[in-house]
Amino acid sequence: MALSKNSGGHRGMQESMYSVIALVFILVACVELCDAAAAIDVYRLIQYDMSGSAYGSRFAALNHHAASLHFPPGADLSRAVLIIPLRELNITFVREYINQKKPLGGLLFLLPDIFSFENGGNKQVHEKEQLKNLLAELEQLLIHANIPYPVYFAFENDEIDTVLADIKKNDAIGQPATATTGGYKLVIPTPEPKKVASPTITNIQGWLSGLKADGDTNQLPTIAIVASYDTFGAAPALSVGSDSNGSGVVALLEIARLFSLLYSNPKTRGRYNLLFGLTSGGPYNYNGTQKWLRSFDQRLRESIDYAICLNSIGSWDNELWIHVSKPPENGYIKQIFEGFSNVAEEMDIKVGLKHKKINISNPRVAREHEQFSRLRVTAATLSEISTAPELLQGTGGLYDSRQFVNETAITRGVKLVAESLARHIYGHQGKNVQIFADGGSLAVNPAYIQSWLDLLSQTPRVAPFLSKNDPFVMALKKELTDHTDEVNMQHEVLEGVFTFYDSTSARLNIYQVASVTFDLLLLLVLGSYLIVLFSFLVITTRGLDDLISLFRRPPSRKVKTA
Amino acid sequence: MTMFHFFNCAILTFGPHAVYYSATPLSEYDTLGTSVKAALVYLGTALVKLVCLATFLKVSENDGFDPYQELLKAVIGFIDVAGLYFALTQLTHRNISQNHKFQAVGLGWAFADSVLHRLAPLWVGARGLEFTWDFILQGLEANANLVLSISLAALGSLMWLRKNKPKTLIPIIYTCAGIVATMPSITSYLRRGLGWHFPKVVVFELFTSLSMAFISWQLFSACQRPS
Repeated sequence: MALSKNSGGHRGMQESMYSVIALVFILVACVELCDAAAAIDVYRLIQYDMSGSAYGSRFAALNHHAASLHFPPGADLSRAVLIIPLRELNITFVREYINQKKPLGGLLFLLPDIFSFENGGNKQVHEKEQLKNLLAELEQLLIHANIPYPVYFAFENDEIDTVLADIKKNDAIGQPATATTGGYKLVIPTPEPKKVASPTITNIQGWLSGLKADGDTNQLPTIAIVASYDTFGAAPALSVGSDSNGSGVVALLEIARLFSLLYSNPKTRGRYNLLFGLTSGGPYNYNGTQKWLRSFDQRLRESIDYAICLNSIGSWDNELWIHVSKPPENGYIKQIFEGFSNVAEEMDIKVGLKHKKINISNPRVAREHEQFSRLRVTAATLSEISTAPELLQGTGGLYDSRQFVNETAITRGVKLVAESLARHIYGHQGKNVQIFADGGSLAVNPAYIQSWLDLLSQTPRVAPFLSKNDPFVMALKKELTDHTDEVNMQHEVLEGVFTFYDSTSARLNIYQVASVTFDLLLLLVLGSYLIVLFSFLVITTRGLDDLISLFRRPPSRKVKTA
Repeated sequence: MTMFHFFNCAILTFGPHAVYYSATPLSEYDTLGTSVKAALVYLGTALVKLVCLATFLKVSENDGFDPYQELLKAVIGFIDVAGLYFALTQLTHRNISQNHKFQAVGLGWAFADSVLHRLAPLWVGARGLEFTWDFILQGLEANANLVLSISLAALGSLMWLRKNKPKTLIPIIYTCAGIVATMPSITSYLRRGLGWHFPKVVVFELFTSLSMAFISWQLFSACQRPS
């Protein structure tokens, strides 16, 4: 398509329009949009109020220079952000800073890859455990402190590693970044965090009806299997809680699947109803479970034979614990425990019984079964942890990532619970019958467990940030609908004790800035260059006299008129 | 301090043009109209070049040096020379001497080039927080470009406007003009083919522009002696 010079006026117009557009595009392509030295995703420390006291990091926006741990002693850090990789963390140093309320511009913690879902590799086990414990300690410190500056978490990657190495080099020379000496500037432009209005907790229950004999008008007894699915951690956008309580949720779903297979055929349907409950509000004294139970019909509550709560069954080797509130001598408890022990023996697992009395006047609920016990329902919690956790501890924080959960443990746990339940339902206690034998059609499916575990390990599930129609909640509902007869969702508002603030993740921009002195120096150099150029041109084209006459004009005029 | 940086780079890129205009006798003879007309001719030339590039050039995936494409770009670069010829000879200028004519045309040409190629990146990039040396280097490149444009205009005026030239100098004039006209291709070859970094390329440009300016000045004064 040659450009003909004799084109008519119309074609000329078209082509010039096309050329103008082409010009604009090429101009745009020539424009190199200047980007930051690095831009990474960062996740903010949680900000919440509990009973009126403020906790967590109270600010979100960041616009300060970066500093590393090698800063010269005595340097003013009130306008600097400390970048601390987890490997170099000295917990006493951070504790000192926070407890003594020393002024600081901000904190940025760099977490190793093993805590992220995508990049977790296989490092030495020894290092993993150390880092895990360190991170758990750091988390507890940060959650219970009131920090008046932004605190963020990020994962280590190549970009930020080079930036940090550069900062350390500058700090070592003794030139910490301030407005006059240049360096790196960290900018997070987010608006001020706002309260989350009416945080909702959603309980999902699935009901599997048992076989009613003809002419039997009595309510069938019910067995409840419960797991709480939400988490709480230092960084809400990273609180995936693979073990606490992702493992419990996965186990519950697999048990529901197995029993739905059994119950689908009227010949193998048991004489017990099965109630599966996925509750929310776990970290907040199992608030959701309490509301769920309170919503029950009195008859239904009385028909519950017992409830098994699943919590943290993902990383055990050989020992599990059954926690109860009723004394071990109680008949029901004995029955449950014997049932579990028999199956456990066959599977080479050791099951221990832990008894802890409940105190109704104390609002602290350490384990889910205690909510059942407060309403006089027999219940027990199956867990790998022998001690009772404190408030907001062990609720699926930063350190609870996919790396530390073992699918085989969950598979064995599912088999244990399912066999014990089945023997109780079908009346085979004490008999050596394998209902869910490996290799059969009712075998526990490890692929199912693994895929759900992977999904849970990628989904942060802090309750105030899960809306009513959150896709994950809907997915749980759909899964239960597939396995049970009837599914109900209950939406409640989280109790007034806790208030949460939003702004949980952001994008951090790292800029390399020049100092003010550099700009001034450059101005000076350019000014003198232009003056020199001017004089040179005047001298070469008009002669030296002209240059001098530029400065001497007023006196010569005076002389002329005089 | 980022508007400050933008201001610094802007005076580096556009300052010399203003200084050149005010320092030399151009301002005395009020040749602004000529410069403006030259700038408009440059705009027109740029549009024509873009259309030709869009029509004939293939978009290459990698950033390597393709000799045929570069040859084609060089040929299209001669449209620049045609535009300069048009500006020097065809436009009606006020009665100004040869000497000032080529300077005014070269100045207008270089100013339009700087504005078109460097103003937008400067406005978008230099105001950000991130600091790079690129914009200062770009300003230095604009300076080199000014010198080159004026030398090319000088050689052009020698070729087309001066009728009585010493015979021996004619081939030299044409070779110099050819070298200056193909400068863009040479710099792009250095950047892509040899992989030179931007600072090195800018230093090369400054050096060659000064040497070409010197050579064309010598040629110009040599041609001026007989008349």
